Amino acid sequence: MLRYALTRGALLIAGLLVASALIFLALRVFPGDVAQLLAGNKATPEQVDAIRKALGLDQPLVLQYLGWIGGVLHGDLGTSQLNGASVAAELAQKAQVTVPLATLSLLVALIIAVPLGIGSALLRGRAAGTALNTAAQAVAAVPVVWAGMMLVVVFAVWLGWLPAQGFPRGGWADPGAALQALILPALTIGTIEGALLLRFVRSATLQAAGQDFVRTAAAKGLTRNRALLQHGLPAVGLSIITVLGIQVAGIIVGSVVVEQLFTLPGIGRMLVVDVGTRDLVKVQGELLVLTGMVLIIGFAVDLLHRALDPRQREADE
Amino acid sequence: MHRTRAALTSRRSHAPRRAAVALLTGLTAAALMLSACTGSPAPSGSSASGAADANATLTVGLVLEPSSLDIRHTSGAALEQVLVDNIYEGLVSRTQDNKIIDRLAKSHDVSADGLTYTFVLNDGITFHNGAKLTSADVVASLQTAKDDKTVQGHADLADVASIEAKDDKTVVITLTQPSQNFLFSLTGAAGLVFQKGDTTDLQAAENGTGPFTLTQWKKGDSLSFARNDTYWGTKAGVKSVVFDYIPDFTAGVNAAQSGTLDVLTAVDANLAPQLDKNGAFTLTKGRTTDKGTLAFNNAKAPLNDQRVREALRLAIDHKALIEARGVGTTLYGPIPQLDPGYKDLSSTAPYDPEKAESLLKEAGQENLALTLTIPSFYGTTVPQLLTSDFKKVGVTLTVNSVEFPAWLDSVYTKHDYDLSFVLHVEPRDFGNFANPDYYFGYNNPEVQKLYAQSQTELDAKKSADLLSQAAQIVAKDAAADWLYEDQTLTAVRPGVNGFPKDSINSRLDLRGVTVTK
Amino acid sequence: MSTLRRLRSSAAGLFGLIVVAAILVTAGVSLFWTPFDPRATDVASRWLAPSWPHLLGTDLTGRDILSLIMAGSRTTVLVAIGAGLIATLIGLALGALGALTARWVRETVAVLVDVLIAFPVLIIAMLISTVHGGSLWVVVWAVGIGFGVNVARVTRPELRRVQHSDFVIAGKASGLSPLQNLVQHLLPNIAPVFIVQLSWAMATAVLAEAGLSYLGFGASVVDPSWGILLADLQRYIQIHPLTVVWPGLAITITVLAFNLLGDALRDATDPTLRTGRRPANRARAGEPRLPEVTA
Repeated sequence: MLRYALTRGALLIAGLLVASALIFLALRVFPGDVAQLLAGNKATPEQVDAIRKALGLDQPLVLQYLGWIGGVLHGDLGTSQLNGASVAAELAQKAQVTVPLATLSLLVALIIAVPLGIGSALLRGRAAGTALNTAAQAVAAVPVVWAGMMLVVVFAVWLGWLPAQGFPRGGWADPGAALQALILPALTIGTIEGALLLRFVRSATLQAAGQDFVRTAAAKGLTRNRALLQHGLPAVGLSIITVLGIQVAGIIVGSVVVEQLFTLPGIGRMLVVDVGTRDLVKVQGELLVLTGMVLIIGFAVDLLHRALDPRQREADE
Repeated sequence: MHRTRAALTSRRSHAPRRAAVALLTGLTAAALMLSACTGSPAPSGSSASGAADANATLTVGLVLEPSSLDIRHTSGAALEQVLVDNIYEGLVSRTQDNKIIDRLAKSHDVSADGLTYTFVLNDGITFHNGAKLTSADVVASLQTAKDDKTVQGHADLADVASIEAKDDKTVVITLTQPSQNFLFSLTGAAGLVFQKGDTTDLQAAENGTGPFTLTQWKKGDSLSFARNDTYWGTKAGVKSVVFDYIPDFTAGVNAAQSGTLDVLTAVDANLAPQLDKNGAFTLTKGRTTDKGTLAFNNAKAPLNDQRVREALRLAIDHKALIEARGVGTTLYGPIPQLDPGYKDLSSTAPYDPEKAESLLKEAGQENLALTLTIPSFYGTTVPQLLTSDFKKVGVTLTVNSVEFPAWLDSVYTKHDYDLSFVLHVEPRDFGNFANPDYYFGYNNPEVQKLYAQSQTELDAKKSADLLSQAAQIVAKDAAADWLYEDQTLTAVRPGVNGFPKDSINSRLDLRGVTVTK
Repeated sequence: MSTLRRLRSSAAGLFGLIVVAAILVTAGVSLFWTPFDPRATDVASRWLAPSWPHLLGTDLTGRDILSLIMAGSRTTVLVAIGAGLIATLIGLALGALGALTARWVRETVAVLVDVLIAFPVLIIAMLISTVHGGSLWVVVWAVGIGFGVNVARVTRPELRRVQHSDFVIAGKASGLSPLQNLVQHLLPNIAPVFIVQLSWAMATAVLAEAGLSYLGFGASVVDPSWGILLADLQRYIQIHPLTVVWPGLAITITVLAFNLLGDALRDATDPTLRTGRRPANRARAGEPRLPEVTA
């Protein structure tokens, strides 16, 4: 286990480095110019060059990259080139919206997927089971953005129960209002991710049903379903953990669109704005944090999986 | 649609009454100040009953957020909109309809030969850090702008020969030649006064002289001001102001409806009916100098052919475009109503697709393919209508929707475009058509001559006349097309008085706004 | 072929096949005819409810929504095919590199693939579009790369498994070069897995187009793409709530069709029919296909 953790840990670090290099490189070649943007339309070439020098944009690429990475290792993700704000501080502040949103979405997804997934597996072959499966298929095909719009139409425009957009300016000072603002967004992401997760849970349950120990329990006299629930669920749980890493990636991505649709002041929306204003340092920092999170969660999930199921062999590739 | 128009018409009849009310409120407030009494609230005389709440917070929904607060080094309407007149002040300022008024200066005087400008400062002006403002600060501010190329407003001070402090309260500026626009340019970034030797980091903090101070900037979210209780002039009517930046128009309307906003600016006309319901908001329509400019790259074939350009102008159904947008008036020349030199030039481009087709044929450009570069911020109505109108005369339009930085780079800097659409919001910017290096690529010596003459002309009316002539040439030349002169729709909650109506994109002077309980 | 028969007997698969075919037909027809010119505006007829002659109503500038959706199907097909092709090429290349070469190359590719998988399609799209501006190519390439990596992760174990089988070894023995061996023996054997992945890739592409166009990184604003239509109509959703239903439905049905088709193909081509995959490989066999679609 320790050896696995170390190897996997080394891979994680390698992965983070590669990711950071890819992000840095991908952002260097671009038609827009931050210096020009800051200088404005009435600027002279001298004004633009002055800004370029002040921000170190004229240094060789390698030095810029090393400087950035060096800072990151010290916890400094840099400062915005447009207004000097600390990237780390901004991320921390916007995380107050995105992290609760992601957590709520995950909860919704689990609440939908686990009972319904197991149910649809147990009801396999019957009308209800097929209906559930089909419904999950259909929901999984819905674009997140459209799901959000439809929820807004129903719950905000027609029923008026929930706000169509926005997040209270005071943030979590008014927890009731803040939660209210997150309900529709979390439902949007959670329902679709839940539909996807449901199909996994179903597969995992069906697969567990075919396992020996479950069949043995069934032979001993438990009903097939009872056997499954008592002995097969841990295996199902394990499969869910496997998928969790990818679910989180899906939730992160979904939140970018949802934050835009519901105008929530979170990390995703900030990212879209920063890409538009070419705030290089911020985009670099934000993308690094997002992909880093996915890599780290993947690492944690792998470790957890390995710890819980020592029979899992890291088959050659 | 019709309901909106009717609603807006009836609102407009209140406008003169509103102006009188604002004046009354201002006088009363001034009287109160003289009596050094800060307790009793000034009576507001508008449609809402009740006294003005001196502790009120005004929440305003805006669209474009500034990327930095450093008004010395960053340009952009978003900055000037909130900072000028509220936080920072200049020697002079301008009203909603672009008339020049005194601000830090108590009075100003222009010599008969137009070369000497004398400003006498008001008494008791202090910066937010407590320091007194003297003519030395004024001189230092202007001199810095004049000497330093990286400072905003540098170009406006090109004609300045010298800036001197005659005494503690008097500043004299001499020009090398008369300039009609000089005083006006001092109402902008060029004329702002900063403390001499100040080391405040302007990106996130300020040390101005205005009736408000900056309390917080939550980037991507909101900007907050507080009343400056040691302000040298009439104190602001509200205790604090919060600017909520909501770039999405629907979100703005929702925020207004849910009660989190007192005022929503730049209301999308198609969404306005939602706010009109139940009299929850009063919608005002204001004039602006925002010109929806469809630029033609005059330096690039086939747009260097006047017939092609004119054909494009004739192919556009301007009235339909404005109807689809819901607001705005037609504009057929480079000068809008609020600027000197405005004249109705609709005869230069009536809607005539047949003539457009024959002009294109004459120029040998049937089945023309052009690209429109447009910042994505402007929405899809304009591209959709242009694509359709041009298709009817045989021109295939490809729309390239970009972010502002990319537009700045490819269109503005590199002049790499065919057609471009951008809202030019600065007042008095006709000079762009007299500048052959501007991204329009338009080079007409006659226009340049007329423009130069208009600038050094001493008489304002004659100057406007010259501008008018030059504008006519530009319109006949079809150097560009002007899709609309924008009007700005503002939704104001009852109880909010004195909120500006015109020119809101470029100036939002909130000193006179009050909120009744 | 028994695969086709098995496919036809699955109701869901049949549905998928029919819908995909219908979309292809619509795309083709729209090249020659649509009820109205999708780009023609008619300001006097704005915001019409579904009625004659505008069967699905009109939008903000009077364009016919049905015509826009028909023309939009072309964009959908192009994006799906484009992304599918790129995913195929990248997946094959990386898969082959990761399975059939020297150990150090395999290890490097393994790390690379694992890292790239952490880049959601949306992130890749944002990186590309910061550089090149938004366009349909951004969608195509972002999905192609994002999904190609996933395809690689699936094909790697398959290639390694097949690599050691008899006919491949026989091929090597009889003097075939590795490339020839690849084409003649390996590819046909992984084809079933491939086609399934392709179908899912296309589903992802359609979803990605919707999300990315909404965010502004996708199609051009006047293109009659379903994603742009969605973005366009969303702005006025509180006054005209039902117009967004049409492009949303079109997207959902299309994605569902591709997914069902992929599922049915997988079931049809897999020998162990009952509950699904070989347990050992499940976690890594690309099922879950990327649920992290971009919208």
